[in-house]
Amino acid sequence: MIEVRGLSKHYRIAKRKQGLLGAIQGLFIRKYTSKKAVDDISFTIASGEVVGYIGSNGAGKSTTIKMLSGILTPTSGDVLVNGIVPYRERQKNAKKIGAVFGQRTQLMWDLAPRESYDLLKHIYQIPEAIYQKNLHEMTEKLQLHSLLDIPVRQLSLGQKMRCEFVAAFLHDPAVVYLDEPTIGLDVAAKSRIRSFIKQMNEEKGTTIILTTHDMQDIEELCRRIIIIDNGQILYDGDLHAVKNSFLHEHVISFELDEEKEEILIPGELEGLVTYIPEEGNSNKLTLSFHPETISAAQVIAAVLHHYRVRDVSIAEPKIESIVQEIYERGA
Amino acid sequence: MQKYWKLLLSQVKLDTAYSLRFWAGSITSVIRLVMLYAFWQAVYENRTTIVDISLEQMLTYSVLAVLLSSYIAGAGTQLAAGVLNGDVAIELMRPYDYINKLISLDLGSKLTSIIRETLPMLVVALLFIGIHAPHSWEHALLFLFSTLTGILIGAQIDLVVGLLSFWTINISGLRILRASFLLFFSGTLVPITLFPQWLQIVCTYMPFPSMVFVPVSIYTGQIQGADIYPAIGLQLFWLLVCWMVSRLFWLLAKRRITIFGG
Ligand SMILES: Nc1ncnc2c1ncn2[C@@H]1O[C@H](COP(=O)(O)OP(=O)(O)O)[C@@H](O)[C@H]1O
Ligand SMILES: [Mg+2]
Repeated sequence: MIEVRGLSKHYRIAKRKQGLLGAIQGLFIRKYTSKKAVDDISFTIASGEVVGYIGSNGAGKSTTIKMLSGILTPTSGDVLVNGIVPYRERQKNAKKIGAVFGQRTQLMWDLAPRESYDLLKHIYQIPEAIYQKNLHEMTEKLQLHSLLDIPVRQLSLGQKMRCEFVAAFLHDPAVVYLDEPTIGLDVAAKSRIRSFIKQMNEEKGTTIILTTHDMQDIEELCRRIIIIDNGQILYDGDLHAVKNSFLHEHVISFELDEEKEEILIPGELEGLVTYIPEEGNSNKLTLSFHPETISAAQVIAAVLHHYRVRDVSIAEPKIESIVQEIYERGA
Repeated sequence: MQKYWKLLLSQVKLDTAYSLRFWAGSITSVIRLVMLYAFWQAVYENRTTIVDISLEQMLTYSVLAVLLSSYIAGAGTQLAAGVLNGDVAIELMRPYDYINKLISLDLGSKLTSIIRETLPMLVVALLFIGIHAPHSWEHALLFLFSTLTGILIGAQIDLVVGLLSFWTINISGLRILRASFLLFFSGTLVPITLFPQWLQIVCTYMPFPSMVFVPVSIYTGQIQGADIYPAIGLQLFWLLVCWMVSRLFWLLAKRRITIFGG
């Protein structure tokens, strides 16, 4: 379905010199620096897979997606999507793909979503029956009925993004690229969108590549993840394998009922957990531990046994911390 | 083809979505017409002709020129905005050619302005200002053809100016330059025949007179007989040149997006 071999993209950035003299000089001689945004990556994605493409900011995720969708021409290497070289046959490729870019709307701002969809029907030449069926099913799944006739500019971000998803899937694309589609959304909108992505993948077999900073997106949707850092692939494989071998630190924070001079780690946890000092809070006990040595339940039970606890919070595992760990280990 | 037609219709819908803005457009254009009338009345206060042009002829010319001039802009502004906010890149992953899409939308806008501006202005002009009829039937038909060519030339020039935003960050200066050139050299302000001789010669080397002066002069009969066909031929030549330049710039711009990432 998607084949990427030795793919690289180097951006050329013009070096500007300071001051007036530099500006004048820049008109005649330009010096360029090269930025390796994507550096010799290879992977294959089978039809029907949902792959999480993750990495920190500036890692090269969007650049990769732009090359897959035909917007960018690679500096070197091969891309093949549905048997098409995207940047050579941009429009042919376009008919078979869909995309959602977070915080960038593809719907017409002043028109109601329904009118944008109607336009997409003609642009993608979707047969009327299929169009009606898809529109009905998708608005049902995303609960959009009441929004279809309101101009897009009057919708909230969450409502708008749900409408974007219909636009991306309406023409039954074989592949859909989702570049940080849940950024800035509230929990409810995120969960609706996640279940929509899941259903589309299961019912239509749509291949999906998802970039996100939200670990929960990844955990609920992706079996496989590809981690990219500095333009290079650090890891490509099973999500659970990476979580177990790399995501060692789990962090639990307890808010105690009383202020204490010194908070001691319960005896039975000695050596199994690490105490993380918190600034300014004399009633907070924050512990980190490896899930293989001790379970979260055991840690909580031990603390509850010694202290009166008002609140417990378990820190979300962060994608950044996985990347960091892999990096430090030199994997 | 059908998708471009639908794009055109979507623009019509968009332009008519706000009825207040729509009728405000009609009213402004009628006010412009009244001002035009007052201006030429004042100029002709103490004489009957200027360089052999009577008040009625001058009014006919000016009204038509103003009517036409609202069609000679194009999709350049939208293109420049798309470059600025990065939408152009996203548009490259649609199964249509972005420039053709913009042209369709632009034609849609022009279709609405026929109803919103041209028709009310024509009614007012015919009833109250008293512009005269076309020189002859033949002139009327050639006027329509020449007008269409002029509008297409304008649309291409506008696209070229919009495309320049790929290479210059500040495009508003260019747009002002274009607008003032157009106002003067297209013959919207006054007929080019009122220019000094040397300036008239300069004008023949520019595409601008082909946009307004030529079609309107065909209507009024200022261009007639053996002069008509060469004038239309020159228009077609300029259309070809402008079209080739805009396509070339678009190719270069596309290369720039796909290689440099915008
Ligand atoms: N058009 C461009 N010109 C120059 N450098 C760019 C351009 N687009 C992205 N970059 C650089 O390439 C790197 C990768 O960017 P990107 O693919 O957007 O990362 P991500 O989506 O993972 O945050 C970054 O260092 C970014 O600054
Ligand atoms: Mg990005």
